[in-house]
This record gives sequence, structure tokens and C-alpha cells, in this order.
Amino acid sequence: MAARNALLKYLRVKAYSVPPLQNPRETSGGLSQIFRRHFSEEAKGSFLEKSEVADRVLSVVKNFQKVDPSKVTPNSHFQKDLGLDSLDTVEIVMAFEEEFGFEIPDNEADKINSINLAVDFIASHPQAK
Amino acid sequence: MKLDCYQRTFAHSSSSLTPIQLPAHLETHLWYVKPSEVKNESLLKQYLDILSPRERENVMQMRGEELRKSALLARTLVRTTIARYQINSQINPRSLKFRKNIHGKPEVDWQFSNDSLPPPLHFNISHTSSLVACGVTVDSQIGIDVEEKHRSIKHTVLSFARRYFSKHEIQFLASITDPQVQKLEFIKLWTLKEAYVKALGKGFSGAPFKTFTIRFKEDSIHQASEIVVDSFDEPTELTSNWQFSLLELANSHYAAICTEKHAASAEGKRNVPTKLTVWKTIPFVVDECVSGTDAVKTIYG
Repeated sequence: MAARNALLKYLRVKAYSVPPLQNPRETSGGLSQIFRRHFSEEAKGSFLEKSEVADRVLSVVKNFQKVDPSKVTPNSHFQKDLGLDSLDTVEIVMAFEEEFGFEIPDNEADKINSINLAVDFIASHPQAK
Repeated sequence: MKLDCYQRTFAHSSSSLTPIQLPAHLETHLWYVKPSEVKNESLLKQYLDILSPRERENVMQMRGEELRKSALLARTLVRTTIARYQINSQINPRSLKFRKNIHGKPEVDWQFSNDSLPPPLHFNISHTSSLVACGVTVDSQIGIDVEEKHRSIKHTVLSFARRYFSKHEIQFLASITDPQVQKLEFIKLWTLKEAYVKALGKGFSGAPFKTFTIRFKEDSIHQASEIVVDSFDEPTELTSNWQFSLLELANSHYAAICTEKHAASAEGKRNVPTKLTVWKTIPFVVDECVSGTDAVKTIYG
């Protein structure tokens, strides 16, 4: 018994206090995006996090030439708030397709006329990258 | 005093609308207003006053003065235009009621106390920030679309066309070498496709752009061009029911008009041209018939 204890004492590893696991999203944006995308391709059929979708959707809309970026909020309606017409809305849907790498069918695209609806749709679509 | 063409008519009083006869079969009326020409604050208040409470609320919900003005003028144009036709002496634009058909297309909800049939008046509107238009027909569905000739697009013409247009249309656009001409042809094609979908009244998803082709047909006998639509889903008998006009308005906009061919003309004569009369208006102020002037250039139809 004493031998056993002596052996265990000898084998015991010294414990160090470990810093808490860093939230991967807090590390440099680029790196975590690559990290995330790699996993998304591996595990096809996984959904993107809603907050990430929201950030990327907002970014696409703000970069749209006809839009005044200062007017864009998460609740913005394309026609009523941002003054976009039917051709613009079609172009914005195309821009979402390019950003998220999947095709949005026309009957769904018809209903996407606000940032909220775009985020909801994309976040619920497993093919979004 | 009835409105004839080649006339500029000033309203008799600040709240009157010069009456006009309904368009005949095979005739289309097009009315348009340019928001930049309407600046008078009290006039705009007058317009706001003829809207329904719901419409007023929708207008006020738009963010930005230009957006609100264009939304206000769109509803004002619809109400004042229809009121001009004095259906059963109903000339008050404020009293008109509207509803949507099962697909969401707006139509007049005629309020008649007796059993008379609703008048066969059809309308459709389109607006850009710089021009608002309303088309009117009798006995036939109508869809219109207006776009600024030189509007910018984010994507290249061909990448947009590949995503949304039909194969034939992509080939047509791809064959145009001059990029400026290609862009103008793209805008024309867009307005024609929008006008068709709006005439059908089923919404963008009811007739996806990729499922039909709009093309210019050369009639070798008469050497006239005709705009026709071919659909993958609909049989030819149905698509040949539609006819198109394409105009350049005020040197700045393309306007496409799609109407149903009247039953008699579809069977008998082949290319019965639709008579189109165009007015530029500032409701309650002035109406100007611009057909035959530089403000209206017919491209096709």
C-alpha cells in the first residue's frame, strides 16, 4: 500500500492553473473566419450562427452603392427605409448569394425585403457558407 | 370640357380634375408625373388629404423626404387618374377604395349600391424616384414598368442576365459588343419582363424571370418588329395573348407596357396596333398630352 502511494506520488503531475479558453470569435477576425468556413465545408448541413449571418448581411447591404450606410439598421426594410426598388432588391439577393455561396430560389427571394428577413432565411438555410 | 390630345389643360379650380373618357378597346392611357416638378407644400398637403388613412400611414413610414414624396405621388396619381374617368359620376378621388386580388395585385374595389356590373377599368403603376406612371385600360389586364435609362447596376449586365434571364435573352445581350448599348438593351429587357409579370398579376415568384423569354420578332412581310413572349410553362395560345409597347419617356426613362390582346383582335388581325395616349400631369394643376411630342418616343409597339 505504501509502495503504491509512493508510486502514485511520484507519478502525480504538477497542476498549473490554465487561463480560461479564449472565445475563438474574439481572436483576429480573419483567422476565425477561415477556421469557421473550414468546418462548415466539412460538416455540410450545419447552420451558421445568427449573429455572424447578421454581421455579414449588414455588411453586404452597407456596401451596396445605392444605400446610405448610416441609414442601415438590423431592422431596415429595403424599400421603406433604404429606398431600394425591385431591381435593387434583386441585386441585393444576388449579393447575398455571392456572400453565402448558395442560390436563393425566386419564390423565397420574393419575400426577402428586409434585413431581418434576410438574416432569418440565411441562418435557417444549411447550405449557407 | 373633355381632354383631347395636343392640349395643355389647366385645372379650373385647385381641387378639380379635368374629366376624360374611358379608353376604348385596344387603347391604353398612360399618365405620368415627375416628382421634381411638384414642389408646392400646400399642393402636397392636398395630395396627402385624398389618400386613405392606411395609405397615409404607409407614406409617412417611408424614410426620407424624396421617398415619401414619390410614394405620395404614386397613390395620388392612381386616385386622381381613375377619378377622371367619372365612372357613374364618381369623381371624388378620395372616395375610391382598393383591394388586392388573390395574388396581391392591386385593383379598384368599386362601391356601387345597385346591382350594376363593375366597370372593366384596369390600371397598373410603376415608380422610380424621378418618375411615377399609371397605365389604364378597359377590358384587358395591364402591367407597366418604368426605369431610368441610365440607372446604375451593381453587377455586370451578363452576370445579372445569367442569374435571372432566359438563355435566349442572355445570348441576345451577349451578342451586343458596345457596353453602353448592351446596358441600355438590358434595361429595356428588364422593364419588358417586369411589365409582363405585373400584367399577369402573380408577382415575381409567380412567373420567374428565367421561365420566359421576351424577344423582338421581325415580321418579314410587313418589316415591322413585334415584341413577343415565349414561356416554358405556358402554352403558346396563352402567351400570344399579350402585347407590348416600349417607349422612351421624357428622354430619361424607358417605359414598358404589357396588355392583354382583345379577344377579337387576337383571332382575326395579326398586328393590330394599340393606340397609346400619354399625358404628363400635375394633378389638380395641369395636364399635358405629350403623345406625338419629343417627350414620348416609341421604340416598339
